[in-house]
Amino acid sequence: MKRINTLLATLFLAATSGAQNLNRFPKPDFESGYQYPDTHYALPNEQLWLYIDIFLLVALMSYVAWAILKKQRRKPIIWVSFLSIAYFGFFRSGCVCSIGSIQNVALAFADSAYIIPVSVFLFFMLPIAFAFLFGRVFCAGVCPFGALQELVNIRNYRLSRAVTAVLGVIPWLYLIFALLYAVTRTSFIICLYDPFIGIFRLGGDFGLIVFGSLLLLAAIFTGRPFCRFLCPYGALLSLFSKVSIWKIQITKKDCINCDLCHNACPVDAIKSPYENKVKEERMQGVKRLLMYFLFLPLIVITSAFVLRQFSPQLSKAHKDVKLYDMVMEQERNPQDLISVELEAFYIDGGNIEALQEKVRVVKQEFEFFGTIAGALIGLVLGLSLINLSLKRSRKTYEIEHGDCVACGRCFSYCPQNDFLNLKYTGK
Amino acid sequence: MKQKIYRNIAIVSAIFITTLAIMLITNYFQVKEVSPLQTQVVETLKQLNDQNAGNTELQEQIRQLDLMARKAYFISMDHLMNGVYLLLGMLVVFVVCTRLYYAHFKDVPDKELDPIDEWAVKSKARKYVNYGAVSIVVVAAVFIIFSIPFMENASPDTKEKSVAQLIETETPEPQETTQAAKEVGAAADELSTAPENSGDEADEESEVVTAKVEVGNETKDVGIIADETKAVADVPGSVAAEKSPASAPKASETSGETKETKATEITESTEPKKSMPLNKINSPAFRGNKSNGISPAQNLPIKWDLAKGTNIAWQTKINGKGQSSPVIHSNKIFITCGDEKARELFCYDLITGQKLWTYTATGIPGSPARVPETTDDTGLASASVATNGKQVCAVFGTGDLVCTDMDGNKLWAKNLGVPDNHYGYASSLLIFDNKLFIQYDNNNVQKVMALNPATGEVIWSKNRKERITWSSPMIADVNGSPQLVLMGNPGITGYNPATGDELWRVECLMGEVGASACSMDGIVFGASEYAKMVAINASDGSVLWESMDYLPEVASPVATQTDIYIATSYGVVASFDTKTGELKKEHETNEEFYSSPILAEGKIYLISNNGTMHIFKADDDFALLETFATGENTYATPAFTDGRIVVRTNNSIYCVKAN
Amino acid sequence: MKKETLHKSPIERRKFVKMLGSAIAGGTILATTGVLFSKFRTGEETHYWQIDPQKCTQCGKCETDCVLTVSAVKCFHANKICGYCDLCGGYYRSNVKELNTAAENLMCPTGAIQRKFVEDPYFEYKIDEDLCNACAKCVKGCTSFGNGSLYLQIKRDLCVDCNECQIAKVCPSNAITRVPLAQAYKLKG
Repeated sequence: MKRINTLLATLFLAATSGAQNLNRFPKPDFESGYQYPDTHYALPNEQLWLYIDIFLLVALMSYVAWAILKKQRRKPIIWVSFLSIAYFGFFRSGCVCSIGSIQNVALAFADSAYIIPVSVFLFFMLPIAFAFLFGRVFCAGVCPFGALQELVNIRNYRLSRAVTAVLGVIPWLYLIFALLYAVTRTSFIICLYDPFIGIFRLGGDFGLIVFGSLLLLAAIFTGRPFCRFLCPYGALLSLFSKVSIWKIQITKKDCINCDLCHNACPVDAIKSPYENKVKEERMQGVKRLLMYFLFLPLIVITSAFVLRQFSPQLSKAHKDVKLYDMVMEQERNPQDLISVELEAFYIDGGNIEALQEKVRVVKQEFEFFGTIAGALIGLVLGLSLINLSLKRSRKTYEIEHGDCVACGRCFSYCPQNDFLNLKYTGK
Repeated sequence: MKQKIYRNIAIVSAIFITTLAIMLITNYFQVKEVSPLQTQVVETLKQLNDQNAGNTELQEQIRQLDLMARKAYFISMDHLMNGVYLLLGMLVVFVVCTRLYYAHFKDVPDKELDPIDEWAVKSKARKYVNYGAVSIVVVAAVFIIFSIPFMENASPDTKEKSVAQLIETETPEPQETTQAAKEVGAAADELSTAPENSGDEADEESEVVTAKVEVGNETKDVGIIADETKAVADVPGSVAAEKSPASAPKASETSGETKETKATEITESTEPKKSMPLNKINSPAFRGNKSNGISPAQNLPIKWDLAKGTNIAWQTKINGKGQSSPVIHSNKIFITCGDEKARELFCYDLITGQKLWTYTATGIPGSPARVPETTDDTGLASASVATNGKQVCAVFGTGDLVCTDMDGNKLWAKNLGVPDNHYGYASSLLIFDNKLFIQYDNNNVQKVMALNPATGEVIWSKNRKERITWSSPMIADVNGSPQLVLMGNPGITGYNPATGDELWRVECLMGEVGASACSMDGIVFGASEYAKMVAINASDGSVLWESMDYLPEVASPVATQTDIYIATSYGVVASFDTKTGELKKEHETNEEFYSSPILAEGKIYLISNNGTMHIFKADDDFALLETFATGENTYATPAFTDGRIVVRTNNSIYCVKAN
Repeated sequence: MKKETLHKSPIERRKFVKMLGSAIAGGTILATTGVLFSKFRTGEETHYWQIDPQKCTQCGKCETDCVLTVSAVKCFHANKICGYCDLCGGYYRSNVKELNTAAENLMCPTGAIQRKFVEDPYFEYKIDEDLCNACAKCVKGCTSFGNGSLYLQIKRDLCVDCNECQIAKVCPSNAITRVPLAQAYKLKG
């Protein structure tokens, strides 16, 4: 057992040792009066920015609520959008956002050891509380993602309503999977596959930036594709917005059924008056509804079962499971060049039993939560089918409050809103 | 007019954006793919430069390429950043202009895609949802159905492999087609075919369980066969000796202790048949019995000459790198060698110097594919082996711990976790009271373990509070009870060898601790360069005295009742009073000592790095009795047995025997 | 009977459903807040990502996996535990022949390590953070052959504090965790 003396040689002369220093090379004894440099590492005032975040969030949402509900103006939304993109987007780099906070909250519920920061919780809860009170004022322009899409939107080419209705299910599925991966501590997929964050940070995963750019490109020609067809938080907010206490109205006066506002809505939330003149027996409709209600448990159980069967595959996304598979592969078929993960694992002692136990727990969790997620998926499918089987008649143009993102476009289209008449009568 | 301007600006900016985006993307991929900072060319050139230094042309080339690489990296980073800002600005221009342009067409009504009938829309959507859900379920079902037989095919495959592994660990020599191996093989076949017959997963598992039981029965049969071979052993001794180790471990592993004793009986029964006289004085570990540096050997030669062959019984060349000291048990000598290609345990005959067998450590689970980097003078085989006469255990710088029987048949092997050690792992093994002690103090892990040398199972394992250390464990006799003493940075620690409980710990060392401890009459002596020498009363852990006059770096001290002797790496050999720590005598030799002094027959044997032997009288005078050059560089500590000294030099092993 | 009421007053029914929905929604908000409130009252305020230098295995993922184009991880230097060696394992490549600043002898690919002569035989080392790209080569060298005074750490002012750190996700030694705000930096020395 021999050592390199060359390394020690430089220190040999200065072998007088400080008793405290137990490192490989003793602390040097400087004779020239050398002072250790002071090292300071920049420490931004993080707490202050968090207070500003929360304050701005509340202030902007209140402002939007006031503008939309009380004043019925769209201009403020535009300003709020600019501010939100600049501050929450570019300045604060879009993290933490309300959309991502879903996962933290879910993890806090599932894992008692996880401590959720208050700011994250507020980011999650405040927009929901506002949605419950005033509708989706957060989506209108406070959310930098919504604001970005709102600002680039120029034309509204319509999409087939049947298709959008189906695509509207996607956010729910996304939400369920995000929750599944969050509670199993696998990954925060909402954060991982965030299409706009790369744009705000001016860099990031290339594929995601391309995806974000394509979404923005689509947003030029159709209203808010991300909000409608992807955003899991929007799905959550729509639930609360549906039953919100104060609701957005196109006009405070009576609707005159002029059909002008119908084209205004970028998210197809304005429903035209509709008389239930379906050439279908009433009983047939009731029967269908009953059938769906009967089928609901079946759908729930089926999808729960299917996802339970899939849980081993899903669990492969977990870091420990991945590592375990790699270790097993290495043990079975030792390779010369091993990955850094394996290297770190073996350097750390290579305790396969402990890893195996961890993996077992993870797989169990995946089976349990996977079953629940499957049931939820079934529930979402079943309920959306039921929702699509309900017949409703309307006498006037009405806002579907679940879908409405409070952008305020429709106000200017309504001839009953007099502040506008100036502009239109002028032409 | 205005509209036209807006439109034109929008078009121009759109073109600009597209071109810029394409440029940025290509730039991004170029940087990403080329990654200028890690170009292969520069790296290989640098390696080339490492091999033959002083080539100024090459150096110049490297410098220029390096500069270019850095330039390329930082400039492209700069371009990327500026480009992104530019792109963003142009996007804003585009959006604003398009918006202003389209503001003109605001009132043009959109074409309604959908039928007015809302119910029709809903019906359609419902249909889509239904189709979508059903197709997802169908796809999922198909996937599951296909994955089940796939898994069934895959699982027996892995099981077969695990059985194959089992067989591999059980039979030391796979090519030995003993009946036992065949039987296990047959069981494995059954195992692999069994799941194929069963359709259901649950069924499959139960089948596997029964198959395992079958294997159990089979191995019992193996045990019986072992008994049979024992019966045969009396007549053709050599054949039985060959066969029994093959089947015996199998029996012992699967069907318990009783079989094990039988197996050892077999080996013992064959041993007396050998014609050679049995050597009684062993040196079963680094620095002899209990690793204390004291040998009971007698009739030792005091002079030899390699060149002339005086007093040299034999000399054998070693093809391999290693610094592990030789270890002697009965008539066998064990050393290890190791490099990137192979880690090997060698057995030599004490009398003839013939290589009896070689065991190569391969196929150990967890063994790193790439050996850890070690320095040349440490290497992968610095730790000496340990034996108890039944098992031989060796450890390598890869963390591979292997154990064979005395005939080189593998009993078990495992990887202790790849050590993070900048010189190379070097702590030798020690077997005492049927426990294999391993000091495993590396950068990444610091622990001490006691293993059952027969099975490799961990009896106890304790984490240590020390930093990386290269010294070896030793057993100190303290008032009739043994203590396991480990050096460390910063603490010297005494453990109960039976339980691993810490008995005492004295923090007194620092730096890189390479020397091991020694003990005499219940006092433990520890010393390390850049720190101090400390005498510790091992019954209570109190420090008796400290000294800083001369300190060993690599060579471990050795103590008599009155004196303690140390050899430094800068040539001073000194003796101190064991009671007071007072410096008694010093010799300046102008040598370097890595090999540890050994006390035998009242003499201190100490060999220097360039192979000069020094023999001192181990008394108060500490007189230099003899000094002579052996002619070969020696780092390892020699092993002593009655009438013989076995020395490992850097490229050979030789045995000195007084005529 | 029931059918009749349904038939009679769809408006009333809708109102009732809405009220029920509002009640449930409000209840959910309050319940969630209540449950989580008890949780974060006991916990720390906020947490920030930091590397545990003791666990770090210098795999080099910090360079490649940060969401930022140039990683927020930088090499830190703990002068207090540095040996100030001439032959520095973090500054020079291994097997270096001449101890000069020629490119073929230096470890850092970007030239971010600067050294200054203090007195014989000591040299002071400093990291130019603008140049450092967190490749961990010097850290590996220093940890294997020196006192480990060079180490990687996340710079708070550069880190955008992602909800889930992308490096933490791929870190093979699980060295990146969140630390409380009060703890500032996980520094060595």
